[in-house]
Amino acid sequence: MKKEISALMDGELFEDEAENLFDQIKRDPATHKDWEIYHLIGDVLRQPEYIHCDLSAKVRERMQDEPTVLAPRGRAVNQKARAIALSAAASLAAVGVVAWMSLQVSPEAAPQMAMQQPALRPASAQIQPKSNDYLMAHQEFSPSIDMNGGASYIRTVSYSTDEK
Amino acid sequence: MRMCVALRRVLLGGLLLAAANTYAGERQVSLDWLKTVAFAAHQTDYSGVFVYQYDNRIETSRIIHVVESDSEYEKLESLDGPKREIIRHHGQVWCYINHKMVQVDSQQVRGRFPSLLPERLSALSSNYLIKEAGMERVAGYNTQVILFQPRDNLRYAHKIWAHTDSGLLLKAAVLNDKKQVIEQYAFTQLQIGGNIDRSWVGAKDFAGYDAGLPVSPETAMGGTTINSGWVVDTLPAGFKKTREIQRPMRGKHAPVIQIVYSDGLGAISVFIEPDDGDEDDVDGLTSRGAVSLYHKVLDKHLITAVGEVPPRTVMQALDSVRYNGK
Repeated sequence: MKKEISALMDGELFEDEAENLFDQIKRDPATHKDWEIYHLIGDVLRQPEYIHCDLSAKVRERMQDEPTVLAPRGRAVNQKARAIALSAAASLAAVGVVAWMSLQVSPEAAPQMAMQQPALRPASAQIQPKSNDYLMAHQEFSPSIDMNGGASYIRTVSYSTDEK
Repeated sequence: MRMCVALRRVLLGGLLLAAANTYAGERQVSLDWLKTVAFAAHQTDYSGVFVYQYDNRIETSRIIHVVESDSEYEKLESLDGPKREIIRHHGQVWCYINHKMVQVDSQQVRGRFPSLLPERLSALSSNYLIKEAGMERVAGYNTQVILFQPRDNLRYAHKIWAHTDSGLLLKAAVLNDKKQVIEQYAFTQLQIGGNIDRSWVGAKDFAGYDAGLPVSPETAMGGTTINSGWVVDTLPAGFKKTREIQRPMRGKHAPVIQIVYSDGLGAISVFIEPDDGDEDDVDGLTSRGAVSLYHKVLDKHLITAVGEVPPRTVMQALDSVRYNGK
């Protein structure tokens, strides 16, 4: 079966064979899982920036262990605060997991989560505008200033973009 | 099965490639050449346009750098989006905001020469494997590529392209442990020496934007040196404390303690301030380009760690912060 899926992905099956296989993938969860895994392997080999991966089961599991964060403030997260894309490594770090996941979970998992964690807000996905001040304060003393000389204020220039 | 074979083939190919790379670029870089590179950025007149790329964004800026008898003058101007200009002279920074020039911040007043001194350069080589990585052409000039490969996975690799004649840095990239570029800048057009626009140089030109005002010593120093009693226990090998200051910060009532650690190429700043209970001061990790920032409230203090290091390094540093004073 695995051989056939692999052949299908490589486009080496005839049309009728492919049809049969698709039917089977739709009906049989195990085959469907194989199909997903093979695509995942292919994706990993091609080393794209983002890898599609169904994490909903794991997220649900982790959510059970998470304490409920009580954040009574109802208003939406400050729109001015610019969201900064977390690097993949950062988001896998335990702290980032919850926040990041809330954006990633599949639709069917979402209502369930919403019930369990009504007040959770994706704190770590937002960079507060005042963080720029820390970045600039840090920049002053970073050795990159020695190495890059002139261009050392590049980051500063781009940081100030987000402030206004 | 087919996938397995394919996978193995790719892995084997990768290994061979990696092995070939180590053999090809094994030549060590002389400290003299690094010194030339470090000094060139401060001693050369140049004018050009460069792009800065981080995350999924690209920004273009123009830079003019001239050395007058007294010191360096540098003008940085954004070419995308709203107009922003920064003029830097003798450790002071002016920013062109809303049609007027204001002094935004001042870094520690430095000497004429960079602090990338021989002893710091040799410290650098104990934290990084520094090697030549071939010759490449950047912005029409021949460059020598130098790779700073960290000796652990707690810092990023840095790759620089230095002009073979002057040593001027024409391109620089920060790479993660998968060798992916996470931030880089590169000149696209550059003039080294020759007839460079100096009309903006001289206090007269930005005196109109109250540059002539005397700066209080405290601001000029970017804070006062103190011994706060706070310590950071877990830092990657080779990170040394370079500064411990108390400084004013915009939007903060109380001064903030800033402790800076550096391994010669990257730095980690730890900021400590009383927690004012502001709900916006949420715990969390963010990153932009090569810079990671981590906030946490620890024992009634808001602690922030920032650095050009991988997220795990700032997290590790912050989690090891403790008060060791009186």
